[in-house]
Amino acid sequence: MNDTKTNGPKILEAIGRNGLLLCYALFALFPLLWMLILSFKPDSEMFGSPFVFHPTLDNFRAVLGQSDFLGALVHNLVISVLAVCLSLIVGVPAAYALARFQFKGREDIAFTFLSFRFAPEILVIIPLYLIYQKLGLIDSYTGLIWVYQLISLPLLIWILRGFFEDISPDIESAAQLDGYTWWQVFFKVLLPLIRPGLVAAALLCFIFCWNSFTFALQLGGGRTQTSTVAMMRFLASDTVHYGWVAAAALISALPEVILAILIQKHLVRGLSFGAVKG
Amino acid sequence: MLLAHPPAASAQGFDWKQASGTTIHVSLNQHPYAEAIIKHLPAFKDMTGIDVQYEITPEENYFDKVTTALSSSSGNPDVFMTGIYQMWDYASAKRMEPLDQFLNNPAMTSPDYNTSDIFEGVFNGGKWDLKPGSPSGTGTLYSLPLGFEMYSLGYNKKYFDSKGIEVPKTFGDLVALSKKLKGWNGPGSYGIAVRGTRNWATIHPGYMSVFTNAGAKDFSIKDGKLVSELAEPVSVDITKQYATMIRDGGPPGWSNYTWYQCGADFGAGKAAMLLDADSLGYFTAAPGAAKESSNLAFAPIPVLKEGTEPTPNQWVWQLGMNSSSKDKKAAWLFIQYFTGPDHVKWAALNAKLVDPPRQSAWAQPEFKQKLSAIPGFYETFQAQIKNTSVKFTPQPFFIQSTTEWAAALQKIVLSGADPDKTMKDLSKRIDKDTSKLKLN
Repeated sequence: MNDTKTNGPKILEAIGRNGLLLCYALFALFPLLWMLILSFKPDSEMFGSPFVFHPTLDNFRAVLGQSDFLGALVHNLVISVLAVCLSLIVGVPAAYALARFQFKGREDIAFTFLSFRFAPEILVIIPLYLIYQKLGLIDSYTGLIWVYQLISLPLLIWILRGFFEDISPDIESAAQLDGYTWWQVFFKVLLPLIRPGLVAAALLCFIFCWNSFTFALQLGGGRTQTSTVAMMRFLASDTVHYGWVAAAALISALPEVILAILIQKHLVRGLSFGAVKG
Repeated sequence: MLLAHPPAASAQGFDWKQASGTTIHVSLNQHPYAEAIIKHLPAFKDMTGIDVQYEITPEENYFDKVTTALSSSSGNPDVFMTGIYQMWDYASAKRMEPLDQFLNNPAMTSPDYNTSDIFEGVFNGGKWDLKPGSPSGTGTLYSLPLGFEMYSLGYNKKYFDSKGIEVPKTFGDLVALSKKLKGWNGPGSYGIAVRGTRNWATIHPGYMSVFTNAGAKDFSIKDGKLVSELAEPVSVDITKQYATMIRDGGPPGWSNYTWYQCGADFGAGKAAMLLDADSLGYFTAAPGAAKESSNLAFAPIPVLKEGTEPTPNQWVWQLGMNSSSKDKKAAWLFIQYFTGPDHVKWAALNAKLVDPPRQSAWAQPEFKQKLSAIPGFYETFQAQIKNTSVKFTPQPFFIQSTTEWAAALQKIVLSGADPDKTMKDLSKRIDKDTSKLKLN
């Protein structure tokens, strides 16, 4: 009897909590569901009943077959992956140095990296455009990979700096006492320890680069047009293909979703690691 | 008969090969008029020997990209698509090359290039003397028209015929009918689709056309200053009527409505009427473009007083030359070719050049036949072209002032703000900017 009395409110609380979470999940996922519906709707039924229609794959066929969207997707993939790789090569040592070494202007340098994220992209685009014109980097992979460092590098450095700071310097000393060189300590001890953070930071950087629009629009061009810019072309003066836009957005979201699922294990640890540490 | 390839645009004695071997860069907006150019590039290369590298940008972001490129003074692009309002901005900033020097030079311009063939109001849209307040059509030529659009009234002919509804001829009738047609095609349907975002594009189509027809104007010159006329009784009165039309018969989410939403609702049978560009109506009424495509028809924009003539505003897609271009001769040949009579005629018949800027294109029987598939389109054009022109006063704060204007209209429609006070406040804010302008 007593058990029932104490369990009753708990069950109600659980139902209430889960009910609220379910409502929130529906609210959060509804735009995705709506996009999914639109992507299977024929143009002729686009403005009819929201949920009753004749599903078709025509929108996907048009996006992948009749347009150069697939090419734009490849451009985006190459540019974003290489931009994140470059950020990792440059950002991991930088984050380590900022976390571990005491040197003059350390905080100023760290703040300077962070400040790259302060200004809206449109504010710096004209000087960047001028520099890129002079260097011949407009509409090139190199140019976009370079400019994407403004997006990914600060994020990566600031996330990883926290992870490095959380590792005790004693671990490094112990490994060196065991005969490891500094490089061995870095690659064999430190990197495995920060792997969840590295994965989470790299994924976030990839998502930000993948979704970048202003840099891709202004500094890219026909040879490097990314999917974010290319899908805008389905809204033209003579034809507004909402179904194509939805299909393109859905296809464009796939790499991010697949990547997130593949590295889910690291991601959860990486994103929650800093939150529980004292 | 539709031509697969354009006829050779070669006048005796004119040297189209004078810039052969050069490469120019062209910036195009994603638009059917640009598609016509792209289709025609091989013919241009054959005739001139000029290589064209073009870049096509989605319309939503096109002018952002062009503005950045012109500001860099790098000379790339050599040629770009522009609109009249943007031309005022770019030419004021000395980013555009004057074209008279090329047009008036017989060595540079083919004798076939007949400017008197271009509709006067459309041609004048490319000229300005850079003096704020001077009307469009005065001074230097900065751009030449590729195609244009005027504003007209689209309506669902099938429904109108079935109910015996007469197409409104006066603006008062239009306001009353818009209200009456709420729910005409089931829940969510409404009377009239018009644009409503906080953007210059809300002001320039139907609103500016009826605003002008009412006898109102945006600016006048008083004591050597450009002064807003938006608080004048005639301006406030027509704004009140327009706001009433939107409130009673416009789309429920009006303040989010752009070109796309207006066309989509009209084509889907949500809106019974459309007050917007004739080309938007044409694209919507093209066979198979939308559910109601085959039921749509067009009529002149309603006038304020019965018996008077409509006075539509216009939007012109033009080609302009970058003042920093390093290949101006080749750039001019490109502009000349694609705004010339042969390309325009060809594009009118073979591509989606709905409103060709040249009278010779409209005179083609095949073109008239092509347009006759859409009831009232050709007739509306003929009835309106005489009075079609830019109704705004050129000034470099155009984008800011019309954006403020759209915000004021939203305030009146959405929150029921007092039109007199709102227009007075708007007028004061605009005067603050324009009072800084030197008119001479």
